[in-house]
This record gives sequence, structure tokens and C-alpha cells, in this order.
Amino acid sequence: MNELQRELFEKQLLSIAKGLEYPRTPDIARSVMRHPRFISRRLVWSLTLILVLCSSLMLIPPARAAIIEFIQIGVVRIFRAEPTPLTPPNAEFPSTMVPVTATPGPTSQPLIPILESLAGEMTLEEARQAVDYPILLPAYPSDIGQPDRVFVQDADGAMTILVWLDPQQPDDVLMSLHFIPHGSWAVKKVNPTLIQETTVNGQRAIWAVGPYPLRFSNGNLDFVRLIDGHVLIWAEGEITYRLETDLSLEEAVKVAESLEPIR
Amino acid sequence: MDESTLVRHAANGDATAWEPLVLAHQEAVFRLSYLLLGDPDDAEDIAQETFLRAWNHLKRFDPTRPLRPWLLSIASNLASNRRRSAGRYVSALMRAFRNEPASSTSIEERSVQHIEASDLWKAVQNLGLPDQRIIYLRYFLDLSVNETAEVLQVAEGTIKSRLSRALERLRGIIQQDFPVLAERREGHDA
Repeated sequence: MNELQRELFEKQLLSIAKGLEYPRTPDIARSVMRHPRFISRRLVWSLTLILVLCSSLMLIPPARAAIIEFIQIGVVRIFRAEPTPLTPPNAEFPSTMVPVTATPGPTSQPLIPILESLAGEMTLEEARQAVDYPILLPAYPSDIGQPDRVFVQDADGAMTILVWLDPQQPDDVLMSLHFIPHGSWAVKKVNPTLIQETTVNGQRAIWAVGPYPLRFSNGNLDFVRLIDGHVLIWAEGEITYRLETDLSLEEAVKVAESLEPIR
Repeated sequence: MDESTLVRHAANGDATAWEPLVLAHQEAVFRLSYLLLGDPDDAEDIAQETFLRAWNHLKRFDPTRPLRPWLLSIASNLASNRRRSAGRYVSALMRAFRNEPASSTSIEERSVQHIEASDLWKAVQNLGLPDQRIIYLRYFLDLSVNETAEVLQVAEGTIKSRLSRALERLRGIIQQDFPVLAERREGHDA
């Protein structure tokens, strides 16, 4: 291209590019101004979290018009579905729970093969070196000990997954605990269904049902649950915690509140 | 209040000064993110993250400089990281799950101008990421060479030589894979 041809080409590009149809620009200012990370510079974190969590409505397609409220716990967005009674662990999920969300249903694959094929397995010590936040372990139940399996996966931030196996039935997962750093993409579009609100260490928490995207060693991601139970979701500082367990809500909160640095 | 004054106030923690700045630049940031990622949800995430990060690092920003190139630079880096991350896979999965149509308007309803622009975007998507970035900034967002250089944090001369090479490659792609667009261009040339 000589200089003249190039000038002409550039003019054409500018002219053609002006015709591109962009999606309507969302109200970024509103979401930024209401974001916990924005407000936290001005107000006490714990107070503002509650304010922000309660204050938002989102635009949604008509097909999901029945679900208009959501609650944000850390990086997890939970849609408030139709009122649902508290469900005992291992009970069959009411029909309103999973299908009303935009989240694919849990896989029906056996749990241990899922675990075997997860990417990012390492030792607890390696995980401590790999992440820039403290990995906490539950002191309750007193005999829980250290996790049997540890994974660190990249999700725009290193996400840690601790897994305890059932000593009575080593093929079963007893409990799993996720540490999800702030800014992770992994959960913005995953919508577990709210079952009940509760608190962990005085902070708002959610008792929910829903699968979660995990990366497998073949590079794929899939939405899975490691346990046929519930999920307790809460946030402290920059980390969102996700405790998957078939324990009761009361027991799960005890586990959550017992987290402490590794000794 | 001018932009530099607003930036100074915002850097001191004045949130009311930050909001008009976000409003002023959110469209450019969103559009660049959309061009790089091709998904409005991802673009919204990146745009939000851009303004949050900028807010947290405002004290390091020189308020005498224009804000837009800095914001676009952050957005460009975040979008590039997102392109490489597995998050793209999840987004695609969720889009497929929601079964949303790719576009709300049919091709028939769109004007020739829109089709040309869409073809041009597809052609640019065949380029490498550095070429895409420079073309989006210069021609789709209509930034000056100087502003493009600020966003990409290189000298103006470097931008000019990179642009020249990117344009050559784009022209080759249009001629080879987008004959209709090339014909229209030649029609305009005549």
C-alpha cells in the first residue's frame, strides 16, 4: 500500500467501523458505585456489605420475571426464588429450587471419579505457597483433621478447594470447602438457589443448593457438586467461602465459625 | 468541574466525584471490552472491574493527564487476560444454556452499513490480539494516534509502524476472506 492507498483505507475503516451495532452500554456507574469494593474505601466493610447486598435489583428477561431479587455474598450472586421451606439434608430438592435458576443442574456422575479428574491437585503446603490469602481449616468437628485432598484452580485468582473424605466410607466426600478470591469470574453467573439466610460470625450468609464450575484435568470445566447436600456461602474480607456438606445448617455454621489458620 | 479536578477529588476518596467520570467514560470502556471479548456480559464485567481498579489506584494516576487512555489501558489488559482465562468457557456455556439468540435483529433488518461494519469486525477478529487492539482503538473507538499510544503505552512512532503492519494484514484478510467487503471498498474507491 502506498501512502495514498493507506490514507483511503484508513478513512474507509473509520467510516465502516462507525456502523457497528454495539449492545446498549449497561449502567456501569451504578454497579460500580454500589460495589462493595468501592464502598469499602469509605465505610466500614461489614456495615456496607449488608447495605449493598440488600439494595439491588437487576434487569432480567421476561422468562425469569418471577425471580427479581438477588443477594450478593462476596462474589456469589444468589437469586431469591419462590419461598421455600428449609430442607433437611439429603432430602429430595423441591421442584422450585434448581430449575428456576440459570444454572445447569448438578451432574449425576459418581463423586469420587469427579474428584479424581479435577485439575490442580497439590499438597496443603503447596497450596499455602500458591495462594496469597491464608488457608483456614475448621477446628470443628474436633476430629476433622487436615483435608484429604487439596486443589488450587485458576479462576481469575487462585481458588482453593479442600476436600475431606468420609473415614467410614472413603468413597464418599464428607465435606468440601472452597476459598474464592475476589474478582473471580467463576461465580458471577452461577446462581445457587436461596434456601435460607443465616449468619456466620455475625455476617450474612446463605444456605443454598447449587452446583459450581470446576476445572478438570482434561482442561474442561463442568458444573458439579461434590456432595449431595447443601452449600453454606459467606464472605469475610476479600474471600468468599463455600462449604459443601450434608450436615445440618446448625452444624455447618459451627464448622464455618471454627475456621482458623493452620497451626 | 473539569476532569482533572474531579480526578483529584476522587483520588482523595470523594465518591461523588468518581461517578461523573465513570458516566463519561463507561461507553468507551464497555465498547472496547465488547470488541475484544465479543460478549456483552463479559464486557460489562470487565468495564466494572476497570472502574473499580482505577478507583483503587487513583492516587498513582497523574490527574493532569487525560483519564480515558488510562481506563482503556486497564480495560484492554483485563480483557486480554479474560480472553486467555477459562472464564470464557463458562460464559459460552452459560450463553448456550440460556439459549439466547446471537443478535436481537435479523440480518434482513440490518442496514448495509451495519453488515459492512459487522464484516469488518469479523475480519479484524482474524488478526492477532496486538493488531486487534490497535485497530479497535484507532478506528472503532476513533482515538487519535497520540491517544492510542497512551493506551498501549508506547511511542507514537511505534504506533504508526504497528498500525501500518496491522493494516496490511487486515487488507490481506479482507481481500482473501471477505470478498464482498473488498468489493464494496473497491466500489467506494472508484
